[in-house]
Amino acid sequence: MTATVPTEPGTREPSATEPAQRWDGSSVVTQIAVLTARSLRAFAGDPGLVLIGLIQPVMTLFVFTQIFTNFALAANLPAGTEYLDFLMPAVLVNHVVQTSSQTGIGLVEDLRNGIVARLRSMPIMPSSLLLARSTSDLIRSAIQVVLILVMAWGVLGYSPAGGFAGTVLSALLTLGVGSALSWAFLAMGATMRRTEPMQNISVLVMVPLMFISSAFVPIEELPDWLEFVARINPLTYAVDASRAVALGLDGTYLVAPSLFISLAVAVVSAFIAIRGFRKPL
Amino acid sequence: MTVLTTAPSGRSAGGGHDPEAPMIEAVDVGKRFGSVPALESVSLRVPRGSILGLLGHNGAGKTTLVNVLTAMQPASSGTARVAGFDVATRPKEVRKRIGLTGQFAAVDEQISGRDNLVMLARLLGADSARAKARADELLEAFDLTGAAARRAKTYSGGMRRRLDLAACLVGNPEVIFLDEPTTGLDPSSRMAMWEIVERLVAEGTTVLLTTQYLDEADRLADTITVLSAGSVVASGTAAELKAQVGQRTVTVVPEPGSDPEAGCAALRRSGFDPSVGRDGTAIITPIDASRDTATVIRALDEAGIEPAELAFGEPTLDDVYLALARRARAA
Repeated sequence: MTATVPTEPGTREPSATEPAQRWDGSSVVTQIAVLTARSLRAFAGDPGLVLIGLIQPVMTLFVFTQIFTNFALAANLPAGTEYLDFLMPAVLVNHVVQTSSQTGIGLVEDLRNGIVARLRSMPIMPSSLLLARSTSDLIRSAIQVVLILVMAWGVLGYSPAGGFAGTVLSALLTLGVGSALSWAFLAMGATMRRTEPMQNISVLVMVPLMFISSAFVPIEELPDWLEFVARINPLTYAVDASRAVALGLDGTYLVAPSLFISLAVAVVSAFIAIRGFRKPL
Repeated sequence: MTVLTTAPSGRSAGGGHDPEAPMIEAVDVGKRFGSVPALESVSLRVPRGSILGLLGHNGAGKTTLVNVLTAMQPASSGTARVAGFDVATRPKEVRKRIGLTGQFAAVDEQISGRDNLVMLARLLGADSARAKARADELLEAFDLTGAAARRAKTYSGGMRRRLDLAACLVGNPEVIFLDEPTTGLDPSSRMAMWEIVERLVAEGTTVLLTTQYLDEADRLADTITVLSAGSVVASGTAAELKAQVGQRTVTVVPEPGSDPEAGCAALRRSGFDPSVGRDGTAIITPIDASRDTATVIRALDEAGIEPAELAFGEPTLDDVYLALARRARAA
């Protein structure tokens, strides 16, 4: 170890030449940026995670399109719409929802491995970490959504009627929904603080939410009671709105309600997350 | 030049802090979790540049006290000041001046050692260049330069603790809290950790160290506070604690052929309470002060017993701890 002890206790200059190295704290924006970069770096530095992050969108895209395209559902699709066009917005929503569920798991890991304890002993805003987790997942989702769209366009010939602008707007709407849900998972992580029940609950909640909705089939195709559930499922609105924008269909009036629902989910969840996060470790 | 800390000397802490005032001061601190008391009326003072050893078994309240003093949990009663600021009313000022190393190495395993330190410096307000410079300085001081670019996940236990300690020093804290810093370390890593702590204190940092290891407290701490079931059961220097609990003894092994029982009888007449050792020859006499030794020798001499060997027994900190724990249980 390189010794840095002063040879005699009294020889140390009262730092006239060295600038005093106590910094006066950082802004909240810096805190969020630094912690977001940390999450992204942890992700980018792990080849396994990067590989899964790349395979996952490909899987989502091909599994769903290849399986569902073979069902003869075309009869009930909106006029002039191919099943791929119908499906793509739902594939994106599904993917973003899956990714957001990992936000909560990451938070639980931080709570358990001591990082949160260290951050709490520092002069920073505690909820910076929550905002950073949510931001980094939004960035990851955005990259993956772009990947899926590029593959869908390049390999499967996805070319929706809404054109480039419609596709971009629908992707943004999807990311908004995903971001709201990531707050729900952060709230779960901050209050439960254990990964296993969270994983079980997210499967238990997300599978029915995705499948009993307009995501994969037009809801008229569903049995009556499922159709009823699908009509009150908020994800139906999100998928329908995203689809309407991408495919240039009627239904853009659904954009405002979906954004509103997302915002409500995000606000309530953020409140619960911040409260839960404050509790002692 | 000093690498580990540059803060404490020649610079007054904020808040009109008197340099002679204690850097850590707790007055009647109590903490309850619901109806369960975790700390009861704990008071302590740690002068600048010294080490307080907080000794106690699991559940004695050590970590709770650290949490209160680092402004992580509010106290239920009492007041505490750290680096001149009240932890309840000025937590942010306290946090700017302290470093905390918890029981488990709190480093981000997914990123490199260097990235960990750079991140913390950035969060404390350093710009990118200064943050990198500070990280490199600490990596060098803690012998981690070679592993700087590796993910912390790949570090050994000792390296991880060193990184953790480096992490708590990034902001040049005036006061550091080390919560069981050597738990689970191998002996050589423990020694290395002790040397680092001694170096920090030599540079003027004030340290509160919790430990279950008596040798650690004995070696490092200037003063020791023993916690049991949330209360301070003893405090003082290691020597004071030993004097308070265990008695010193003088052991005399007489020349062969002497009758130890006769010696004991003579000592009893002089007001001592001797006993014969298990080997049947040594006479063990508890004494209060060093000058009693001469009285013991003289009394034995008068009884015609010539000492062949003479030994003194000092109680160890283990004796102190066990005696206090017994006393706490009996109370």
